[in-house]
Amino acid sequence: MAGVRFVDVDKRFGSVEAVRGLSLDVADGELMVIVGPSGSGKTTALRMLAGLESISGGEVLIGDRVVNRVAPRERDVAMVFQDYALYPQMSVFDNLAFGLRRRRVPKPEIGTRVQRAAELLDIGHLLERKPGQLSGGQAQRVALGRALVREPQVFLMDEPLSNLDAKLRTQTRGEIKRLQQEVRTTTVYVTHDQVEAMTMGDRIAVMNDGVLEQVGTPEELYERPANRFVAGFIGSPAMSFFDAAAAREDGGVRLRGEGIDVHVPRAPELPPEVTVGVRPEAARLWGADGIAGPVSGTVAYIEALGRETFVGVDAAGSRLAVHQEGRSSLQPGDPVEFGLVPDALRFFATDTGAAIT
Amino acid sequence: MTSRRELSLTYVVLGAFSLFALAPVVGIVLTALQDPDGLATFGSFDGLHPSNFVDAWRDGNFGPYLRSSVIVTVAVVVVASVLSILAGYAFGLMRFRGSQVLFYVVLLGLMIPTEAIVVPLYYDYRDLGLTDTYWALILPQIGTSVAFGTFWMRAYFRTVPRSLVEAARIDGASSWFTLWRVVLPLARPAILTMTVLLSMWTWNEFLLALVMVTDEGLRTAPLGLSFFQGRNQTDLTLLAAGAVIVATPIVLLYVFLQRHFIRGMLSGAVKG
Amino acid sequence: MSAAAPERPPGEPRLVGYLYLLPALVAFTAFVLVPLGRSVWLSLYEWDGVTPGTWAGLDNYGELVSEEALRAAFLHALVLLFFYALLPVAIGLLLAGLVARARVRGLALFRTVLFLPQVIALVVVAVMWRMIYDPGSGALNEVLRAVGLGSLAQSWLGDFDLALPAVGLVGTWVWFGLAMVLLVAGVQKIPESLYDAARVDGAGMVREFFAVTLPALRGEIAVALTLTTIAALRNFDLIYITTKGGPGDATSVPAFQVYDRAFQTGEVGSAAAIGIALTAIIFSFSFVINRTAERGYAL
Repeated sequence: MAGVRFVDVDKRFGSVEAVRGLSLDVADGELMVIVGPSGSGKTTALRMLAGLESISGGEVLIGDRVVNRVAPRERDVAMVFQDYALYPQMSVFDNLAFGLRRRRVPKPEIGTRVQRAAELLDIGHLLERKPGQLSGGQAQRVALGRALVREPQVFLMDEPLSNLDAKLRTQTRGEIKRLQQEVRTTTVYVTHDQVEAMTMGDRIAVMNDGVLEQVGTPEELYERPANRFVAGFIGSPAMSFFDAAAAREDGGVRLRGEGIDVHVPRAPELPPEVTVGVRPEAARLWGADGIAGPVSGTVAYIEALGRETFVGVDAAGSRLAVHQEGRSSLQPGDPVEFGLVPDALRFFATDTGAAIT
Repeated sequence: MTSRRELSLTYVVLGAFSLFALAPVVGIVLTALQDPDGLATFGSFDGLHPSNFVDAWRDGNFGPYLRSSVIVTVAVVVVASVLSILAGYAFGLMRFRGSQVLFYVVLLGLMIPTEAIVVPLYYDYRDLGLTDTYWALILPQIGTSVAFGTFWMRAYFRTVPRSLVEAARIDGASSWFTLWRVVLPLARPAILTMTVLLSMWTWNEFLLALVMVTDEGLRTAPLGLSFFQGRNQTDLTLLAAGAVIVATPIVLLYVFLQRHFIRGMLSGAVKG
Repeated sequence: MSAAAPERPPGEPRLVGYLYLLPALVAFTAFVLVPLGRSVWLSLYEWDGVTPGTWAGLDNYGELVSEEALRAAFLHALVLLFFYALLPVAIGLLLAGLVARARVRGLALFRTVLFLPQVIALVVVAVMWRMIYDPGSGALNEVLRAVGLGSLAQSWLGDFDLALPAVGLVGTWVWFGLAMVLLVAGVQKIPESLYDAARVDGAGMVREFFAVTLPALRGEIAVALTLTTIAALRNFDLIYITTKGGPGDATSVPAFQVYDRAFQTGEVGSAAAIGIALTAIIFSFSFVINRTAERGYAL
């Protein structure tokens, strides 16, 4: 059992910088999700941790040990691959036992560990089968089992749920989370799906373009995004943005922009130009209490989800998502008026994207 | 929708060319079975006289010739296959400096004709006292076979998902273990195809044998046939029987493993 | 900060890669590359194989163009190129064009039969066809006589003008199956939708062929041409068994010249030069063929 540390880690592929200055601490026993769009460097970071990629700069530590030059087999990590990478010609049992046999674990112990993992993952009835005879979900669990039996210091998971259908994904998500909480092994989990990140991670590290944007609990990332990227990446539906000129007024601020002129009663100190971030729940149809507005716009689309509706509105020179309870009678093209919930707004510098608090 | 006329035309053309391909082969088999004392013409049916094969075998001394061919072919194919698997593994699944360059050299080597190297091979081997030995036939053909084999196995290994190799590495397997126990079990069809093609080319090799071997006992089957033809210009049935004897082993292999032959030539040819 | 960060990840075979490569590379170098180098060396000398040789510089190469016999040999090789490469590929294209439109059943059987000539040792093929071409008992003359064209019956391999085409035809027989199989396989990879689109646009059979089939087969055509071109230039076995370069010089080819000069007439240097020239020609032809095919892909 050990924590993991990235200390100012760089990775270059030729002239391309895949990871820049990554510094990240993963606590012992924690499930840290690294999330980001493709090309963000998250998988590269994981692979450096696994020892599958060399490290161009900085240090990677597992426990107290600097493992930059240490071969994967010496690092005591176990990895679950996106395509499961099960050994095709071996039975499930042999797949699970493979790593243990390589490490000369005594035979009875191998049997015990495999049985235990099989029980935990409900694959006991599959032990004699070959990977080719397994369904996607079953193969995925065998991949998990293979990592489990190793009882390593760190679990590494590279988008293990990507190849499952949506329903199975949600189900397995919960199972993995429960499993991790039971074995309490430090886990580094990579995904591009922010919903997955938010539901699974003890903490989440958001990466973009090789750089760590922010690390924190799901709540921290949602409520206090450090910059525009994180704000727009986390949360579904995504946060909308519009630019406006800000001027202090009556203890609050007046936001003036393209087709928008509202007074927001409570707001931090803002520069003259500002980007305003609006989560759907921060925009309500005009008529509700305590909202700033009105803002006029035209309906661009309707996203009806039964219990609630998100109305896409072209306003303030941008497109904003407005939340409406229940069903909406609005149609695309209709004029609409809505308001902003003052405390739910987020403000970002127009040039750097950094959050303004 | 294709008209019936077009379909018929296609079958006719296919049939005609199939006939063209088959006719000489059928012809020589029939000739080999003809009455040895009758008037022999190519391809005419004259009753079945399989005794011709026995005569040709004895008269042409094909027993030792076939044995020679088998020895050379087996030696070349086994050694070249192992070497190619190792090299293909390195090219296909490992990253190291200069791998691109080295592979291009191998690719070029695929195109070097035996005609270009047979001259120095003879004179150098003569000086080394290796002419008229199996080595003279086996060693050069290992060289040329390894070029194709490496190319072929590399192409196969590149289809193996990297994650499989990485999983084995994290699990603690050495590269050697990974090759023989993880990756190779899947490669049986590819290896079979390579074996089949190398066997065909080695068995059918003529120029090298002609140049290197004068000792009658060492002659390979094609070389044996060439001499047999020299002595049997007029005895058609005997010559035909000899020809059939020499061609049969590979043709038999082909009949049973045709899928591999064809697939090998097709995909091996469309190189990356 | 590691000063000399390793190029590849820790534990991933690095030097080990070279070790795996070594046996094959040693075999290849020792038995192919070194002899090739020795060939180049020999080609710079005039040597009869017995007495010490004399330096000749590039004279042997000069002879490739100046000496009548060699010019003829290479010319013949060019002629054979038509029979070994162009004709089979043309036949293959014809068939591919037909198969493209039709749903042919039993294609596997046809494939097996058409590919058969590839598998038979060239020595056997040569013996076979020598019998067919035989003026007296040969099948060709028998057939001609049977259909009343007896006046055309002659000594095919003995005629100064007909010997080369006759040998060429044998090459066509050997290689057309491979070209067919290759091209038909390529044709089956063409998505049906391309043909549907062409048909909707009103294309007939010929138009379809040139607009859809031919461009899509660029790769396969390149491969077929490469393989058959190399075969045409390497053409030793057939010539040796059927005509030994005769009658006269009518079927002399570079490959045969290599053998003849190195082991019969004591012109080892010249033989080596021819071999090197053959290799160079094969390389350049392959290069040109594949370049043309590649550029054609930039559609």
